[in-house]
Amino acid sequence: MAMKISTEEFKERVEKGIHNSFMRGAVAGAQDRLRTRRLEAAAELGNWEEWRALGEQIRQHTLQHLDYYLMQLSENVAKRGGHVFFAQTAEEANEYIRDVIVKKNAKKIVKSKSMVTEEIHMNATLEAVGCEVIETDLGEYILQVDDHDPPSHIIAPALHKNKEQIRDVFREKLGYTKTEKPEELALHAREMLRQEYLTADVGITGCNFAIAESGSITLVTNEGNADLVTALPKTQITVMGMERIVPTFEEMEVLVSLLTRSAVGQKLTSYITVLTGPKDEGDVDGPEEFHLVIVDNGRSAILGTEFQSILQCIRCAACVSVCPVYRHIGGHSYGSIYSGPIGAVLSPLLGGYDDYKELPYASTLCAACTEACPVKIPLHELLLKHRQTIVEREGKAPISEKLAMKAFGLGAASASLYKLGSKLASSAMNPFTVNERISKGPGPLKAWTEIREFPAPGKERFRDWFKNREKGGDE
Amino acid sequence: MKVTLFVTCLVDLFHTNVGKATVELLERLGCEIEFPEAQTCCGQPAYNSGYVKEAKEAMKHMIRTFEHAEYIVTPSGSCATMFKEYPHIFKGDAEWEARAKKVADKTYELTQFIVDVLKVEDVGAKLEGRATYHTSCHMTRLLGVKDAPMKLLKNVKGLEFVPLPNAQNCCGFGGTFSVKMGPISEQIVDEKIHHIEEIDVDYLIGADCGCLMNIGGRMERKGKPIKVMHIAEVLNSR
Amino acid sequence: MTVGNIYRREAFLQNIAQRLGRDVYTTGVVRPMWKYAPQHTVFQGYSQDELLEELKKQCLRIHTTLVETTCHDLAATLKRIVVEHGGGPVVTWDDPRFDEYGLMPLLQEEWPNENVSVHIWDAKLGRKNIEFAEKANVGITFSDITLAESGTVVLFSGNGKGRTVSFLPTTYIAIIPKSTIVPRMTQAASYIHQQIEQGKQVSSCINFITGPSNSADIEMNLVVGVHGPVKATYVVITDR
Repeated sequence: MAMKISTEEFKERVEKGIHNSFMRGAVAGAQDRLRTRRLEAAAELGNWEEWRALGEQIRQHTLQHLDYYLMQLSENVAKRGGHVFFAQTAEEANEYIRDVIVKKNAKKIVKSKSMVTEEIHMNATLEAVGCEVIETDLGEYILQVDDHDPPSHIIAPALHKNKEQIRDVFREKLGYTKTEKPEELALHAREMLRQEYLTADVGITGCNFAIAESGSITLVTNEGNADLVTALPKTQITVMGMERIVPTFEEMEVLVSLLTRSAVGQKLTSYITVLTGPKDEGDVDGPEEFHLVIVDNGRSAILGTEFQSILQCIRCAACVSVCPVYRHIGGHSYGSIYSGPIGAVLSPLLGGYDDYKELPYASTLCAACTEACPVKIPLHELLLKHRQTIVEREGKAPISEKLAMKAFGLGAASASLYKLGSKLASSAMNPFTVNERISKGPGPLKAWTEIREFPAPGKERFRDWFKNREKGGDE
Repeated sequence: MKVTLFVTCLVDLFHTNVGKATVELLERLGCEIEFPEAQTCCGQPAYNSGYVKEAKEAMKHMIRTFEHAEYIVTPSGSCATMFKEYPHIFKGDAEWEARAKKVADKTYELTQFIVDVLKVEDVGAKLEGRATYHTSCHMTRLLGVKDAPMKLLKNVKGLEFVPLPNAQNCCGFGGTFSVKMGPISEQIVDEKIHHIEEIDVDYLIGADCGCLMNIGGRMERKGKPIKVMHIAEVLNSR
Repeated sequence: MTVGNIYRREAFLQNIAQRLGRDVYTTGVVRPMWKYAPQHTVFQGYSQDELLEELKKQCLRIHTTLVETTCHDLAATLKRIVVEHGGGPVVTWDDPRFDEYGLMPLLQEEWPNENVSVHIWDAKLGRKNIEFAEKANVGITFSDITLAESGTVVLFSGNGKGRTVSFLPTTYIAIIPKSTIVPRMTQAASYIHQQIEQGKQVSSCINFITGPSNSADIEMNLVVGVHGPVKATYVVITDR
């Protein structure tokens, strides 16, 4: 799975999303539940705004000194006997990982959930050299078994599927014979995957937070799959986006607290695992060999720009879980593994405007995302910056819109032009007006009136009434 | 107290009654209303579409028009928010940033002005019926005005207030979003209407004409008998 | 220990520094004084008893049974819990605290005599230990630090303290001396940070475990027990 998950046009994807009634019901239910849990978790702390401000400051400081902390991290990993590879591109990362795997003569790989490995399309590279790559996060596993269906939510990748669909997939692909009860489905996955952990040659993980002071990586799960992925195979490879780092354990702790509360309303998830290097001498379980792959893949190009704050993201998906647009179109409509507001900001930055130019407009700018973000990324403002970039630098806006906005600029900046234009509006709309309503509007009004009535401009503008009244006219 | 009214382009052209109600209401509360004829639009349509250059022209014009006011009051949470954003938008341009800040600092949304400046919570309004209130996003999240409309509505005689389920969710207006992303906007507004219908009210009240045009226009298209009112009209009912 | 390799670092960091508009920082960066420190105010000044009360409350929310006992009754309590969960096999850490708390007779005599097989982690056996853990019904460890707010046991794994004891068996039991309870993760993180500052080596695996494993990946329905344990019990020793 690469970052781009569809070749269809945005409009077609949205159309499909809107007509997927199960998915929409599931998303709405999940949003409502996650929102309530997040707010309760924040309220229980009592000083959530201080926590957010602290989270923001930690992330900003770290990004501002990213080279220093990556240097420290890599030194400390190496001191503990781990290897570190800095990959500028997805290809470099994949090549390195493939080389390690080929050298180990590995055939079976177990993986815990990782967005960055999806982003760089790692699984395909490894499958191409004959490896079996097994996703162990329950949601990711379901998607993989279902012919690599793409994830539709950062923290709940299989949100768009119902239990009956999952049962059918398990029956068809895994010889499953039981019912659609989530407990039975999960138990089946547990049994299937146990054997895989025990026989895998390599374990691959993502990384929630790397800790510079000790060269550690932190993995956050509820299932415990990351623990098995890292404890049982003899080789461990961890892939991290270069910004997923904190100075010390103390900052890791703060960000984990923000992450688990914002993502699922939990104080901590069931498993927070901090791993440092390969296993020590005398250790029995844990990998003999540890590789850390630090991926840039377009991130450094965001540093130092007006979009830098998007790198503060800790992938909690709180913004996704409150977005009214995501609510109705689902994750697949975004055409990227990164969906919702974070996806609408990040996908054009990492994947370019050609593929993702519609995403910045797929927002009502309601700012629910900005309000929910635990590290205070001004998401709706970044969407605006994208729109500005598309208009000013990319020149990708439609001509009719440019002309309309040019006219707006002139009209709204001139009292006399505005007055004239607004006076003409009423008579211009006359042919379309029935009972003071416009039901089939011309030009830009057409899109509005396809869905709603539009009020006809009044015969008398407010300003006319006011002037008349000041002169002592009737009210 | 002298109040300079920024009526907004939507009210000027389409919702004249909201402007009239605002004037009458404020006058009854002892304000003297000034209406600068030169006012146009806050620039939001262009700004939110990425046309910052064009938007800035409109904004400069509005700054010139309003900078001498004592209090600027507007019957729109969203347009008030835009005025508040001006200094941020002109950041780096010392002269205009300073002038923008002067304007931003004295800008108030109508209910915010009544409650926070005039210190009035009961305006003596009367309206019979069941009503709910749509909390518009810019007003609530960006301007931070949450309680003022509730305080005022609570004191409207005869009005039975019913909370709106999922009130925090956007109505799907989003300015140009409503036409650029029509099919998505339609789904969002339909969910909003579903929740309004759920509680069986006579009135839907709001403080932003954009949202009200969207929800109202859709309800009208679907033949829903719920009356849409701007909060200025409600507070001016006697 | 052999030092690991670092590949392609220089150009990578150079590029970052360039984007940030400056030369590469390799030294001299200090963490600022953070503007806020809300994490320190949680359960500030609570006694061990008050912390235990908070821990109990939280356990109700994380599908975890909390049992209080004393040093004297610990062995009997463990015996009872293991029976309730269907008996052995049992796997435990090789940890001096089992001796300190008088549990060796239970592990070495009582249980084996009652046909409850016990495997105490034995580094000499290598990966054979994992097979025992995989077959075990119950895994038992001590908690090194316990977090009241979240209901979390912190395990510093390594050597005799095998990682898989806490997550391969179906049931997991954590023994928690009351003195190990602290308000929240903050205190554990500070402790570890201080150890690092003093030049001590952090253990290769630190687990923060909060109840049994679970997932909500199928229609947001909570399923308890996915890859790790299905059941978790905390045994708090109130007089230590």
